[in-house]
Amino acid sequence: MTSFSHSWLFQDQFVRRLRSDDCGVYGKLCRRKFHVYQKQFVGVCTSSKQSVYIGSNRGLQKQGKTFYTVNCTKERDFDPSSIEPPPYSSYMDSTSGQLEPASGARASIPGREYWPEGTASRVAAARAPEPVGKSDGKPSYGRSPGSRRRKYKGQATTSEVTETNGDMSNQPVLVTSESDDNADGPIDPSDEYVIYQTEPEPEEENMSQYELDKAMGRPHPFIDPAINKPIEEPHSSEDLWWNWRKPEKEQWSRWQRRRPDVDTVFAKAMAETGQIKLFGDYPTKTEAALARARRHIFKEERLQEEQRRLEEVGPIAYYSEWVKSWDRDTSREAIQRHYEETGEDEFTQLITMFEHQTAEEYRIMMGTDIRIKRDPLAMRMREDLIKEIWGGDPVYPTINYIQDPNEVIDFRGPDFHEPTPNMLSYLMEHGKIISREDLEKILANEKQQELEITDMDEALASAVDIGDDDDDDDDDDDDDDEESEGEEDKEDDEVEEEITRNWSVLKSTPQLRKSKKEKPKKKDAMSLEEAIDDSENITDFLMDFDEEE
Amino acid sequence: MPSSSVSPLTLPFSSSSSSLFAAFELSQLGNGDNACSLPPDRRNVGSTSHGRRRRVVAATSVSTSSLPPFKFFEPPKVVESPFPLELEPADPDFYRIGYARSVRAYGVEFREGPDGFGVYASKDVDPLRRARVIMEIPLELMLTISQKHPWMFFPDIVPVGHPIFDIINSTKPETDWDHRLACLLLHAFDVEDNFWQLYGDFLPSSEECTSLLLAHKDDLLELQDHVLASKLEEQQKCAIEFWEQHWHSAAPLKIKRLARDVERFLWALSIVQSRAFNMKIRVGALVQDANMLVPYADMLNHSFQPNCFLHWRYKDRMLEVLINAGQRIKKGEEMTINYMSGQKNNIFMERYGFSSPSNPWDVINFTSNAKIHLDSYLSAFNISGLPEEFYHNTILSSGGDKNFVDGAVIAAARTLPTWSDGDVPPVPSIERRSARELQEDCYQLLADFQTTLEQDQQILDANPDASRTREASIKYRLHRKLFLKKVIQALEIYQESILF
Repeated sequence: MTSFSHSWLFQDQFVRRLRSDDCGVYGKLCRRKFHVYQKQFVGVCTSSKQSVYIGSNRGLQKQGKTFYTVNCTKERDFDPSSIEPPPYSSYMDSTSGQLEPASGARASIPGREYWPEGTASRVAAARAPEPVGKSDGKPSYGRSPGSRRRKYKGQATTSEVTETNGDMSNQPVLVTSESDDNADGPIDPSDEYVIYQTEPEPEEENMSQYELDKAMGRPHPFIDPAINKPIEEPHSSEDLWWNWRKPEKEQWSRWQRRRPDVDTVFAKAMAETGQIKLFGDYPTKTEAALARARRHIFKEERLQEEQRRLEEVGPIAYYSEWVKSWDRDTSREAIQRHYEETGEDEFTQLITMFEHQTAEEYRIMMGTDIRIKRDPLAMRMREDLIKEIWGGDPVYPTINYIQDPNEVIDFRGPDFHEPTPNMLSYLMEHGKIISREDLEKILANEKQQELEITDMDEALASAVDIGDDDDDDDDDDDDDDEESEGEEDKEDDEVEEEITRNWSVLKSTPQLRKSKKEKPKKKDAMSLEEAIDDSENITDFLMDFDEEE
Repeated sequence: MPSSSVSPLTLPFSSSSSSLFAAFELSQLGNGDNACSLPPDRRNVGSTSHGRRRRVVAATSVSTSSLPPFKFFEPPKVVESPFPLELEPADPDFYRIGYARSVRAYGVEFREGPDGFGVYASKDVDPLRRARVIMEIPLELMLTISQKHPWMFFPDIVPVGHPIFDIINSTKPETDWDHRLACLLLHAFDVEDNFWQLYGDFLPSSEECTSLLLAHKDDLLELQDHVLASKLEEQQKCAIEFWEQHWHSAAPLKIKRLARDVERFLWALSIVQSRAFNMKIRVGALVQDANMLVPYADMLNHSFQPNCFLHWRYKDRMLEVLINAGQRIKKGEEMTINYMSGQKNNIFMERYGFSSPSNPWDVINFTSNAKIHLDSYLSAFNISGLPEEFYHNTILSSGGDKNFVDGAVIAAARTLPTWSDGDVPPVPSIERRSARELQEDCYQLLADFQTTLEQDQQILDANPDASRTREASIKYRLHRKLFLKKVIQALEIYQESILF
């Protein structure tokens, strides 16, 4: 590579030199010299360049003349060193272990023994030299086979062919057509040749312009425009929209089934444990997503509520729940007073309080007491449901290996175009949603009851896990209302155990429930037990609860 | 007859003969007098082959140059040019038309002699573990018809609705494969830009063709074999009838111009008969038996001890000609294949128009019920192997019979009435007597011919201008007589060398 580029550069210089040279000697000799030097240039080095200059300085006027006629527009002051040479022109190929050119065919072709089967023969076929030599014969194109053979018998017989033709009928004669005609006189020429109609066909008048064009070979459309039926235009997207047909329900491929996802499985499990209710035997995507959202929101709300309470009553009052032996007043005023008396600030008082905390209470507070049953839904799920999520093994999950928590559910199922019921009115009439006025009313009622129903033990037991973020189910999440989470949970389980079998019946026939509900509604404040009794699952419980608040 | 008497008998032939191989064989003959015992036949064979077309060469050279198991001759020690003078290199266009269509020939060249084309090694080939390709011919250049009924053509040069297909379809599916292929060949000559229009110029013309389909009635009489003659006459009649039936005056021009006269059709038929191969080919997923005309590969001549074979390479649909694995080839040796194995001379004569005096499958019908001891006969000539594959064991023979044993002696081992009973040794006197009886039989058979061996040879030498078919038929009977002579000689030697 390098040597080539150099030689080109030198030649270039050389030529310029030649052009500018005026003095010199004419002569063939010099011209020949010039060629010689040109050849020399190919394997170039600086010293030879020097000698070239000398050689070119002598003469070549004639050559120079011809050069002037060449219309060459090269810049005079071109500096060959201005061309940046490539960083390297060859490199050590680790595959071949040899120096390989850096441009051109980079990969070295492996040796013949590494070629795949059949390649060697193809290469051999491609490399086969073209036959040389000139043949004086002419092909007869099938007219007289054997004509390009050397005739050994033929030469002898050709002369006698004419004589023997008559008697030796068996001797095949291969001659041209005119001699054929001569030999067989009686053959009728019309028998031999097709006689073409010279008159124009009468039908030609009847031909349409298109047919005529086609027959004459004039430019014509590919399809007869008379026959041509335009292709129906594709429907506009508007038409397509209104003519859309719901695809058939049946699942004809295993790939059409819904991918098992965590939400669905959890929604199913929640439905089984009665936390939500489903409107079919299998949760729809919407239901699954709603269940998930609900779980999440409830937990968020509860945490916010806890935080709010912590800020409201102060840390000492808040945490004194878990310190039974702390019987001092925990109100803000008392703390302030204590501070003024002894100079211990709130933080010190808190530490003092925690000094009275037993280990058991501490465990309860931190949620690490094993005696308190904490059964997340995932633990209570049936085996097959668990397997549906993880393939049975949480360490090496075999299904649902990749789970995208931020996956956006595609709600556009085949029923996408079905008319959607007005969700708001649907929820309203089913009592799932209440208006703001109702809510305010309930809240006003609730404010009054708030402090009465505090049950320390229960509250302690269930409010322990503040801030621990297990959200696998809302079953063991507790509402932040200080009133009775644990109880509620427990009761919920009980309720669930009672009703599990036919809760759906109750769902589908709200009258049954209504009749039950009516009674407590009459009272302005429903007791917790009643509320629990009244609700079949946590969802309903919460709904009812909201109403009551 | 003692073996010493053999050479005087044969020498005149070898010196007088002026066949294509003269130069070639003279160099071999220089090896010794013993070598002469065979060449006479060879000579005759050679001249016989003149009558044939190129195939002739095959038969000849077969026995001459490429008989490694028999080791008849030492390989020629000619350095300057291994080719005899008569063999001229083929026309450059012969190569060129194929080269342009990706036919390839490696290490071989085509040469044309008075007996037609042959394929010769242009360099020495050392024995290889694997067969070595010397030619490859793509399917596109061939003419093939499936052997069985759904007629399929590869390449399909027959247009849909062409009347030639009706003709092909009207043939008898079992027997008339040659008629079908002849129709296809004639059609190929008519198709524009078909390769066979060019290649046809290198096929033997009807004067050069030795196929007896083109033979005169008197030529058939020259065979001195009325069974074969009547069979050939039957074939000729069939072909002519076929032509008359389909090339009648009302036939469409498309058909008529293919073969304006019956000679053209007979020529095509003889070309087909003498150069078609039957092979199982695979095209895509389709495997089928096909009758095929393969350009270039059909220039290979026949040998009973071939050094090449044909192979269908389905990957790129090529027919390849391969050298037998482990075969040593000297420069100038002829490349040969085996056309048919296990057939008598009359079958070769009927289909290809040549015969060989050393066909190892030839048969004599002995009338006497004398029998010789098979094992003794085999050991006398160092023949090994089972009857199906007798061969001359050169390791056993110390060189004495090297030049005597050829295909004919092996054929004799197969055709002589023999007995063999375990270890029971033959009684020499009885053996000699029965051998003599069998010789008598052979003499009787020789005497039944209208002409003698010497007369035949004279006839051949006297009119070198005789047509190919006449030469072929004279050689046929000559070869028969040579074969009988050889058997008589073999029995003579056997009587001398019976083991006691």
